[in-house]
Amino acid sequence: MTGSFFRSRSAWAIAGLIVLFLFPVFFDRFYVYLTAIILLTGLCATSLNFVLGYGGVFQFHHAVFYGVGAYGTALMILKSGLSPWLGFIVGPVVAAVLGLIIGLICIRLSKLYFGMLQISLGSLVWAIVYRWYSFTGGDDGIHGVPLPDIISSPNGAYYFTLIVTSASMFVLYRMLKSPFGSALQGIRDNPVRSEMIGVNVRLQQLLALTIAGFFGGVAGALFVVVDNTVFPDMMFWTLSMELVIMCLLGGWLSYLGPMVGAAVIVLLRTYVSGITVYWALVLGIIMMLVIFFLPNGVLGYLDRFLKKKARAR
Amino acid sequence: MENLFGFISPGILSQILVGLSRTVILFIVSSGLSLILGVLRIPNVAHGSLYMIGAFMAYSVSHLFGGGTAGFWIALILAPLGVAALSFLAERSLFQFLYEREHLMLLLLTFALSLVFGDLVKLVWGAEYRSVPVPFIFQGYINLFGGLPFPIYSFFLLIMGPVIAILLWLLTNKTKIGKISRAAAVDREMVGAVGINVSWVFGIVFIIGCSLAGLGGVLVAPTVSVTLGMDHTLIMEAFLIVIMGGLGNVWGALLGALIFGLTQSLGILIWPQFGIVFPYLAVVVVLIFRPTGILRSTW
Amino acid sequence: MLEVTSLSKSFDGFKAVNNAGLIVKNGETVAVIGPNGAGKTTLFNLITGVIRPDSGKVLFKGEDITGLKPYQVCRRGISRSFQVVNVFPRLSVFENVQVSVLSRQKKTWNLFTPSSRLAIAETDRILENVGLSDVRDNTSTALSHGERKVLEIAIALGGNPEFLILDEPTAGMSPEETSRCIDLIRQLKEKLGITILFCEHDMEIVFSISDRIMVMVRGSTIIEGTCDEVRCCQEVQDAYLGGSDVCLM
Repeated sequence: MTGSFFRSRSAWAIAGLIVLFLFPVFFDRFYVYLTAIILLTGLCATSLNFVLGYGGVFQFHHAVFYGVGAYGTALMILKSGLSPWLGFIVGPVVAAVLGLIIGLICIRLSKLYFGMLQISLGSLVWAIVYRWYSFTGGDDGIHGVPLPDIISSPNGAYYFTLIVTSASMFVLYRMLKSPFGSALQGIRDNPVRSEMIGVNVRLQQLLALTIAGFFGGVAGALFVVVDNTVFPDMMFWTLSMELVIMCLLGGWLSYLGPMVGAAVIVLLRTYVSGITVYWALVLGIIMMLVIFFLPNGVLGYLDRFLKKKARAR
Repeated sequence: MENLFGFISPGILSQILVGLSRTVILFIVSSGLSLILGVLRIPNVAHGSLYMIGAFMAYSVSHLFGGGTAGFWIALILAPLGVAALSFLAERSLFQFLYEREHLMLLLLTFALSLVFGDLVKLVWGAEYRSVPVPFIFQGYINLFGGLPFPIYSFFLLIMGPVIAILLWLLTNKTKIGKISRAAAVDREMVGAVGINVSWVFGIVFIIGCSLAGLGGVLVAPTVSVTLGMDHTLIMEAFLIVIMGGLGNVWGALLGALIFGLTQSLGILIWPQFGIVFPYLAVVVVLIFRPTGILRSTW
Repeated sequence: MLEVTSLSKSFDGFKAVNNAGLIVKNGETVAVIGPNGAGKTTLFNLITGVIRPDSGKVLFKGEDITGLKPYQVCRRGISRSFQVVNVFPRLSVFENVQVSVLSRQKKTWNLFTPSSRLAIAETDRILENVGLSDVRDNTSTALSHGERKVLEIAIALGGNPEFLILDEPTAGMSPEETSRCIDLIRQLKEKLGITILFCEHDMEIVFSISDRIMVMVRGSTIIEGTCDEVRCCQEVQDAYLGGSDVCLM
């Protein structure tokens, strides 16, 4: 029973990957770029959901790790003179370390306190990047990051993003299904009880925050590949709120929910802001509708709908 | 003693005073935020937007009355009322249905509101910089400590701070609504059980909290250029102040604002480029020793 | 096995537990009784590290465990169930117990082996023992109250405890559920040799399964002794008759 279920699930995953792999053959540059952005944004949202939806930790300022991963990668490539590939490791690692540090400061606080302090500390990181002109380029950001030849073409960047995103998504999925993931979900459901069954709740959450920071950083590094730029707004707190909305919109109890949410938000942003300057207004209204009418997200709703149908039969 | 005074140069003193007058704005805004957090448990991200709207309203009102100084005084009354009306609408149409939901949903709803408010401001006032004239009687400078000019308006702010603090204290401790709301902050079911309409108490507290944001916006308007995006950094600072002071504690907000304002203005003096780091460091230090803020939080 | 000496804890001046003492020997089943608000749950919270005592000592197998964190206490072999149902609402019944077993096996740092391959046999055995095998794959919110209380105990058993603390295990159960639950507790005691400390309002249960009884009133131990000693004790009768609680003896 579970075997065939799993098989069908991997079958779907493989089918999806094949479609994504052939995508650049049939669509032009713009769509390839857009899809790459969706993939990496989705990875970022999934890494947030790792601690938010599955860990129950109020990580309100996740974009910081996305931004730091991107800056770490770009600066490493530009300033170190070492192999650019090293940058793709350094960026996420720096993000993971930052995740651990911010986590260490915030972890003693209860939920909402945690979230508010986390958002504030994240803003501090933003402010430092914004002010540190000589190192980070301040509000101009960094443009034209030189990349290895193989990933510097649009299709090269796309395939690199696709491969790294799929691998990361797979790793995150495995982690959620591991004992570590079980304990993490237990903590989300009931931290007091988790502690009573011998789980070191804070340590467990800290590791989760570090992992989430790392994969947020991976998404940031991918952005450098796809867009060739970094800028401080990548880690502004409003983007973090958008990431939370992606999780909510797609459904934070479904693994692919954040990816779906990211796709919806990125597409809407691309097309709506082509029509009107009031994109924020549209996003705000969508958010309110989701909060009031789709509290479990699109996938959560679908899941329930399908279950109801199955039961009716 | 000689040396001590030598160290505290006029420059530093005037920097401290400027810092204090900024503290007043921070205090007024974050006391409103703290009130809402303490009683309603809403982490109101839209609070910053209301502050911005207050400032823009001050611009419009003072403009309407000829751009002169009379306009400022009228704005001081009208703008907080306008913000109160706006928050009343938001509370009755949105928030009152979500009080039982998780904090996360409330936070996201307030963020959605802040997006909507931001674009409404863009729609109504445009994206240009606006300025509000300093009211006539507060124009100019006085000389402090042997020749350093200090704006009179900042003195006005320095007086407003304690006045608001005392009024808020009276409100929460001496009035019926204040007592009910404090009880509701601790145990809302109990208050509901004794036959008090909690929903309305919450509504009123929400409106008072929000109009404080509006008031902060009016007061800050003559000292800065009023523009889109002025809400973004302020809301983060207000969050920090509230966390530092203890959620829901008005005196905590005052203390937090003091620490924040002073470390900020002194920090900029010591290290101009990264002075902004100091208040954050202060917050981290405070929270290491007192994880729930300096003063007793209501929850 | 467990030795509690002069344990005290006050909240804002209210002495919830005041100089309480208790000894549980290996293999015994000991009941803590007392009127509502006597401090039974607080006592359990103090033993398991949920709150720190103001003064006093808790020794477990001769070692001082006073003030240890709950997860540390658990790792020494003390598990507990809660009075109010306290399970993992979004996990299935199986996962609820599995997480506890995994935690005991110190596998929560394993990031890459799927949980679906670990601790299966042991988890299923526990579910079998407590009689929850039929609802194995339901989410815990779909269970009846009685089943959830049993799940509560099953999670505690996941820790393979030498010492089990049960906080009103039968509260809110129907008579049938209650009798099944008592059978379960007997089994734990007789078959698995687990030492049990529990509190309970139903005196019939208390007298039927406990070896010894400790009576707590207003945070203090009034008497500790065998069922017969307690039954005859004047002070206990006074405490119960004088208190708001109905006399059940």
